This record gives sequence, structure tokens and C-alpha cells, in this order.
Amino acid sequence: MIDGMMAIAILLPVVAGFLIFAIRNYYVRSVVVVLTALVLIANSILYAVKGPFTYSPTGFDWGKLITVLDYAILILYLYLGLKLRNWLVLIFSITQIIPLAYFEFGLKAHVDVQPAFVVDHLAIIMSLIISIVGSLICIYAIRYMRDHEEHAHVEKSRQSRFLFWLVLFLGAMNGLVFANNLIWLYFFWEVTTLCSFMLIGHDRTEIAVKNAARALWMNSTGGTAFIIAIIYLYINHGGSAALSVQNIISGGIQNVALIFPVALLCFTGCTKAALMPFQSWLLGAMVAPTPVSALLHSSTMVKAGVYLVLRLAPAYAGTYLSSAVAITGAFTFLATSALAISQTTGKRVLAYSTIANLGLIIACAGINTPLSIAAAILLIIFHAMSKGLLFLCAGTIEHKIWSREIEDMEGLAAKAPLVTFITAVGMLSMFMPPFGMLLGKWIALEAAYKIPLAAILFVLASTLTIVFWTKWLGRLLQVVPKLGWPLEKLSPSYSVPLWTLLIGIFVLGFGVGPIYSNFVSLATSNVIAGTGVIASGWNSISLTAVSANQKGGGILGSYPVWALFLALAVALLIPMLFFGVKSKQLRQVYLCGEQAGGIDTDEWLAEADIKTKFILGGYYFQGTVGEKALNPWVNTIAILLLAIMIACGVIAK
Amino acid sequence: MGLIKKSQLKSPWILHFDNSSCNGCDIEVLACLTPLYDIERFGIVNMGNPKHADVLLITGPVNRRTARVLKNLYDQVPNPKMVIAVGTCASSGGVFHNCYNVLGGVDKVIPVDVYVPGCAARPEGIIDGVVMALQKLAG
Amino acid sequence: MNELIIVIAAIVFAPIIGGLLFGIDRRITARLQGRFGPPILQPFYDFFKLIGKETIVVSRMQFVWIYSYLVLMIASLICLVLQSDFLVLVFLLGFAGISLVLGGFSTKSPYSHFGANRELLQIMSYEPVLLLLAIAIYAQNGTFLISSILSQDKPLLLTLWPLFIAVLYVLTIKMRKSPFDISTCHHAHQEIVKGITTEYSGSQLALYHLAEWYEIVLVLGIIVLFWANPIWVGVLIALAAFLLELLIDNVAARMTARWMVRLSWSVGLILGILNIAYIYFAKGVF
Repeated sequence: MIDGMMAIAILLPVVAGFLIFAIRNYYVRSVVVVLTALVLIANSILYAVKGPFTYSPTGFDWGKLITVLDYAILILYLYLGLKLRNWLVLIFSITQIIPLAYFEFGLKAHVDVQPAFVVDHLAIIMSLIISIVGSLICIYAIRYMRDHEEHAHVEKSRQSRFLFWLVLFLGAMNGLVFANNLIWLYFFWEVTTLCSFMLIGHDRTEIAVKNAARALWMNSTGGTAFIIAIIYLYINHGGSAALSVQNIISGGIQNVALIFPVALLCFTGCTKAALMPFQSWLLGAMVAPTPVSALLHSSTMVKAGVYLVLRLAPAYAGTYLSSAVAITGAFTFLATSALAISQTTGKRVLAYSTIANLGLIIACAGINTPLSIAAAILLIIFHAMSKGLLFLCAGTIEHKIWSREIEDMEGLAAKAPLVTFITAVGMLSMFMPPFGMLLGKWIALEAAYKIPLAAILFVLASTLTIVFWTKWLGRLLQVVPKLGWPLEKLSPSYSVPLWTLLIGIFVLGFGVGPIYSNFVSLATSNVIAGTGVIASGWNSISLTAVSANQKGGGILGSYPVWALFLALAVALLIPMLFFGVKSKQLRQVYLCGEQAGGIDTDEWLAEADIKTKFILGGYYFQGTVGEKALNPWVNTIAILLLAIMIACGVIAK
Repeated sequence: MGLIKKSQLKSPWILHFDNSSCNGCDIEVLACLTPLYDIERFGIVNMGNPKHADVLLITGPVNRRTARVLKNLYDQVPNPKMVIAVGTCASSGGVFHNCYNVLGGVDKVIPVDVYVPGCAARPEGIIDGVVMALQKLAG
Repeated sequence: MNELIIVIAAIVFAPIIGGLLFGIDRRITARLQGRFGPPILQPFYDFFKLIGKETIVVSRMQFVWIYSYLVLMIASLICLVLQSDFLVLVFLLGFAGISLVLGGFSTKSPYSHFGANRELLQIMSYEPVLLLLAIAIYAQNGTFLISSILSQDKPLLLTLWPLFIAVLYVLTIKMRKSPFDISTCHHAHQEIVKGITTEYSGSQLALYHLAEWYEIVLVLGIIVLFWANPIWVGVLIALAAFLLELLIDNVAARMTARWMVRLSWSVGLILGILNIAYIYFAKGVF
């Protein structure tokens, strides 16, 4: 049965992908996508029900297949570097091929890691996110890509190709989170990079290809570090046994200076998660169609980066490297939150916010206490849902008004009330109590004092996140005095994923207590022993501290989940349901009395009584927090921090 | 009298609007707000916003352009409201009543409750006018 | 049961205390300006007058947001009186502020629009100070729970006095006093009409004022925490801070939003960071 489950998780998406690629009929292809999605979701739930296990596939030399495919991918990168005349892609494919070849033929490495796959609670949670959120996004992509190609007047449909890469990617991610063998992990890592490249460049415009190449070379720097870490581990720490993730984190190999390869792997994780100074590839990836941004660049692929750093946390606990990782993550959190304020394109705001939250998660991994690891896992879960939802909303909005600019989204509440409602709730769920994201941030803030500088950076960044979300949400809500905006129609391919994710956010947020106790805490203990998060009473979360100098009865803090949901219901739900407005109560806005027209007009009589539209503009502060103003500073500091991080790996204390 | 009625008398917020006055009456209205006359001790506050106002203090004669603006502002003031025409020009058009662009006093556009004559109207007169308007409100 | 009584007492008495404080505010301000000023009960007259006005709106959602502002402000106050987690209190207060801002954004009105943007800048100015205060309380007491502050014999003011000065900035911003009254202000300021409250009237404006009364009690309550044992000293300090704000208001002119953000992010943050650093080096990590 385990064989079947693993095959469905990793191999079914590959088979389904090829099938989808071959089918040209829109409806048959859609049915296959939906069926694949349902099977993947059911399979991941089966994982959760069954519980942890280990697995090594037999009966076929998978290792050899993976090695062959590794070289195939790297040679493809080489070819792409030459074809696109992109020297960075070329260089960083060479820096991977040569060490890999050395490993294979020079060292004649024999890699036999048992078990090959370790499915523990953390991996199960990641797989649930990948399968459920990922499948919903694939369902969304069905209709989205058809509308996208219609609007762009594409002659030869390439939807099959798009959906192929999207579905294949899910299999690669599942393999990544289950893999215990570092070489196999590296293979799945490279497949995700490849999928990202193919999907970003899907539209084949000049800017799409350029940004895809940038994503490729930046991720390849991480791949290079990965290979070097593998070689270092193999040579210095006992051969094949050193390439087992479980052995690395449990210190089962006798050697003190594991820190250097672990630092390299953290670097790899940072490139995949687009932390500063690598953020430009993620921002550039926003030119791709929205399902790509939702799946790869917010919910899933970038989570692979933070997953690696989180998984390795026990290996660098208590070292300088841990503090360096924390500060690097916290600084990215702050810098990208500031940069997000200045962005005028919706998807770029979402991208910067994604990088900010990834920085937060990595910082929690670096703080390396039971509380902060719990915060990291909760943030991974809730961020995947909220951000995935927001990207899908951004895509839906784009297909309504055919623009991605926030200024064009003004007054969307009148044109598309349903989508605006879902977007508003999605945005509020990112930074407001009582939702899960804020719970994670709250735990992170309360746990952060172990590295006070990180706590201070968290404080500043949290403040800045409020600004850009509220600003954007406000622009959506600005409508003229009129009643009775009709609800727009949404195709089920759009509305099913949107509503499912929205309901999921509420259900998981409301039930976070029992979910934590019965499920997430097990994942926390996969990473670090001891738990400080206790769910009790009226579903309130209390944090207990570990030290003896506590006042307050040993309780660090307490978060009343249901009480806060009650406050939310009373504050927002009750007035929305029970307060009605009659049209005779409407008045015009105050425009010094100069309106030209009825109550719902947005024109006024200017000099010489010329009818002029009054125009509102958002505040973007580009002089202070714009990319031109901040990037030189923050990129320099970020490079320094990364250099310090690697140096801590070399010092190895 | 009821709590709300009593409060309405003790907290009349004004909106001061100048149609096309020479600013003489406006300066007198402003003088009322200064420490010498201190109408804030009656709870009177000058809100610059019709939606917050109870009493409109209108100065100046109404011309074709300000008629539109005056109507717009009057519609934005929620009930109960009182209109006080301050100065001779606001009451009847004053010395400008024959000009080609002047429609006349404020009552050509909106219903007026109290007329305060004078050119310029004296602060004591304006305060007296407000008191009269409040008495009218009380019934 | 005890807790229920405390909560009900807070909900009933806080607005009365808040309204009286605002009345005293206007009276003392008037005396400082050489005039008589309105009676102390004036805010209550204003409140009931506003309730008696007819309801007019410019959008369907504006009531929802202002009502949400009030409810969440009351929720924050309940957090304070039930002595629960200080960080949760700050987040709830933040949510209340956001509701007000979104209320300003809920109509296409110029004055409301940039009142809302300025209010957002105000929130951005005081939020870091409150969050740093939460962390400093943890650094000092080892927990974020407010109950620990009340059970201490050593007052917070002795070690947290730099943050106390920073909290005075917060108080000025929250009370909408010069030099930080940039988004909307009381009395006769017409520079931005009424900023964020421009499109509100009648009973909805009354709800806004009610929320302000709760807010002043809440922020003064946070100042009381700086000397919680015996609590009457804390109350005196809070009242002294309140009177200091009146003085500052009458002496200072309104400044720009940029200046406000720059001032609170430099002075406020430096005071907070130095405070936390001092406690960290004196006491060590928990």
C-alpha cells in the first residue's frame, strides 16, 4: 500500500502530466486535471491518516535513473545558456555539471542511502499543502489559461504544455519533501527549478524569457552550493551515510564540523526562497500567468527553500550559524515589507509580501526554539493558503479589468463585489487577528527575544506590512454613493478554488487549537524536542516558557482564538447582516459643493464650469521606500549578511 | 424636555458659508469665535463640513454660481437643521440686489429660519440670531 | 463571574470617564487661550445631539467599519482590564485602527481619502513603539501577561522610562493633539476639512466619538501600567501625562506627516531599542 501511495504522490503527476500534454480537447483535458487533483488530495489525506513511515523503493535502479535525469537537466541548462546567450545561466550550469561529474566519476561515489524516503509529520504537512493547495490552483488554471489565451489572441493553443508543467511540478514537490537521500533531493530540487523556468517563460515574450533566465541562474547558484555541500559531506563525513538528511540532523555521523555543508544548504534554501539579495528573480517571475505565481512562487516551490532550512534546523541549533540565519531572514522580512509599500502593481506587492513572510519563517528556523519552530510551521501552512488565495484573486481581478495595476483596481467593489469580498477577507487574513497568519506572527514575536535584534526587526516589519495591505484594500473599496451593485458571475473553475481556500482559512484558523495539539505539534517535535505551545480552554493558545526566572505562572503569553473570532463576528458580521441602507439616505460626498450631477457622480465643475472628473491617487512613497531608493542599501546589507552566514559555517562553532 | 432635545440646544455645530460676501460679515462671524465673544462656551463649534453641521451661517448675496453650491451643501446637512442668513446681503441681496448675476438673498434658494440684518452684522447680533434659531428649534 | 463584573464595569464606566476627560480637555484648553470654554459635560451633549440627527450615508460599508472600530476598541479595553496578553492587546488596537482607516477608504471622497492615508501613517508611527513596549515588558518580567505587571512591587517606570517617553508620543498621536493631529482633529481646523471623518454624520459620528472615549481610557490605562503598585500613583502619572498633552497641544503647531513619521521612527525607536538593549545586557536572555 505504501508503494501505491508513494507512486501516486510522485509518479502519478508525471504520468498525468504527459497525458494532459497529449490531450488537445479542452473538456477532456479539464476532466483529467480535475481527476488527478482529486486523487492527489485523497492520497495526501491518506498519508495524514496513516501516519509516519519510511520507504525505500525496490525492484528498479531508481538511483541510476535519477543520475541520468540529473545530467539531462544540467545539459539542458547548458544548452539554454548557449541558446539564450545568457552567460550566467551557462556558468552556473557548468559549476554544477563539473562537480557532479567529479562526484560520479572522480570519486566513484556509491550512494546507497537507507531509507530513501522518510515520511514524518512535517513532510506530511508539506505534502498536504502541496496536494490540496496545488490541486486547487491547477483546477483554477484550467479556465484561467483559456481566458488568458483568448484575450492575448494566441493562435496555437499552448494550454496543454502549461498544465503539463504545472501538474508535473506537484510530483516533484512531493518527492522533494519526502526525500531523505540528498542526491534524490537535489534531483527534485532541480526539477522544480526547471518547471519554474518553463512556466515563467510560458508566454514567450522577451521579458518573460529574460526573467525566466534570471530565475534559472539564481536558483542554479543554490544548486551549485547544493552539489558542493554533497561532495563535502561525502568526503569528510563518512561516505554514503552522510548523505542521509536524518543522519545529518541527528548528528549520527561523528564529526563536529558539519556546519559548513549545512551553511551551504541554508544558502541554497535562501536562493530558492528568494531572500535578499536574490529577490529579483521572484519579482521578475510575476510576469508569468497567475497560476504560476500562485503555485510556484507563493504556496509551494518557494516553501521548498524554507522547508530545507527548517528541516536542517537541529543540525545548526545553538551555533553562530543559527543566529546568522535568523538575522538574515529577519532583515529580508523588514526590507521587503518596506519595498512593498512603493509597488503600484498588485502582483509585485504580493511577491514582496511573500518574500517577507519567507524571511520571517527562515528567521523562526534560525531562532531554533520549540516556540519559534511551531511558529514557522504554522506560518508555512497559513501563508500557503492565504497567499495562494490572494494570487488567485489577483488573477481573477486581472481577468475582470484586464490590468494588474492597483490604481486601475479603484472602486472594484462596484464592478466585482464578490471577488472584492474574497480579496478583502484574504488580505485581512494575512495580517489581522484572529486569523492563523497573525497567530503565527504572534508566536514568532513572543519567541523572538532569544535573538533580540531579530525581535526588533520583526516589530518594524510587522508595522510596515499593515501599511501596504490597508492601502491596497482601501483602493479596492472606494466607490461612489450608489446602492445595489450586482454580483458578478464567476466560472466554477475560478470560484471553487477561491471559496475552498477561503473556507479553509476560516476552518483552520478557528480550529487551530485542536489542529495544533493533534497534528502540528507532532511536526514540531520532528524538528526540535519539547513544545511550548499548549491549546486549551476556549481554544486559547498559551505559550509556556522554558526558563526558571518566570513570573506569570510560567505562561509566556495567551491568545484567545475563539474569543477573537467572536469579536470579529460582532465587529464585522453583525453590522453587515443587519444594517441596511435606503436610497433616500444617500448623499453626495463633500466636494465643497461643486458636484456636477447627481449623488453618484464623480465629476465636478472646475473653472469656467468645465466638467472635470475628480481623480484619487494612492500613496506610494517611491522617493523613500522605492526600489531605486532602497535597493542599493538593502542589497549590500543582504550580501554582507549572507557572507557572514557562510563565514559562520566556516568558523563552525 | 428630552435628553436629545436638550443636547441639540446645547451643542449647535455651525457651517459657515460665504456666497459672494465682501467678507465683512465673515470677519464678524470669525470674531464670535475669538476669546472676546467665545461662542464655544455655548457648545458652538465651527465645523468645516456640512455633514457635521446643525446650523448654517450664510453670508453674502446669492449669485448664479453659488446658488448651485449652496443647494448642494444644504442637501448634505442632516436634519434637524437651522439656516441663519447673516448680514443684509444674505437677507435680501443688500446693495447688490440689482446686479445681473445676483439672485437675491439666501431665501431664494433655501428656506431661512432667522435673518440677522446689518452691514456688517455685529457679533452680538449673530449670537442673538443663533439663540433665536435654537429657541425656534426647541419649539 | 468576577471577570464578567469587571468587563461590564469597564464597558459602562470607561466612556463616561473618557467623555469627562475630553470635556476637561476643552475647558483647560479654553482657559489656556484666555476664554471660558464649554461646560465639562459638553462631549455628552455633543454625543446625544448627534444621535438625534437623521442618518445619512455615502456608502453601504461606512457604518460597518466605524462600528467595527468601536467594537474592537472595546475588545482591546477588555483585554487590558482582564490582564491578558499585552501583545494581543496591541494587535487588537491595530485592527481597530485599520477599521477606521478602511472606513475612510470606503467612499470615493477626496478629503476622506487622504485623511485615511494620513491616519495610516499615524498608525505606522505609533505601532512600533507599542510593540517594542510589549517586548520590553517581556524582557523585564519574563512574560507578556499584564497580570505580571500588577503583581510586581518594582514599578516598570524605573527601568522602562525611555519607553515611557516614547509612549508619550503615542499618547499625543492617539489624542489627536498638535503637532500630530494630521488626519483629523477636533475643533475648528479646516485644513483638510474633517479628514477621515468627513463623510460621517449623525449616529455614526457619535459612535466614532464613543470609540475615542474608550481609546483615551485605554491609552491612559497603558500609562497607568508603568506604575501599577500602588495603582493610584499610576493613575496620577496618567493624569499628569494627559495634562502635559494639553500643554503641548496649545504650544505646538500642526506639523507634516513626514515629520511625524520621521520623528517617531527615529526618537521613538531609538528610545525603545536602547531600553531593550539595556535590559538585555543587565538581565540576560530568558
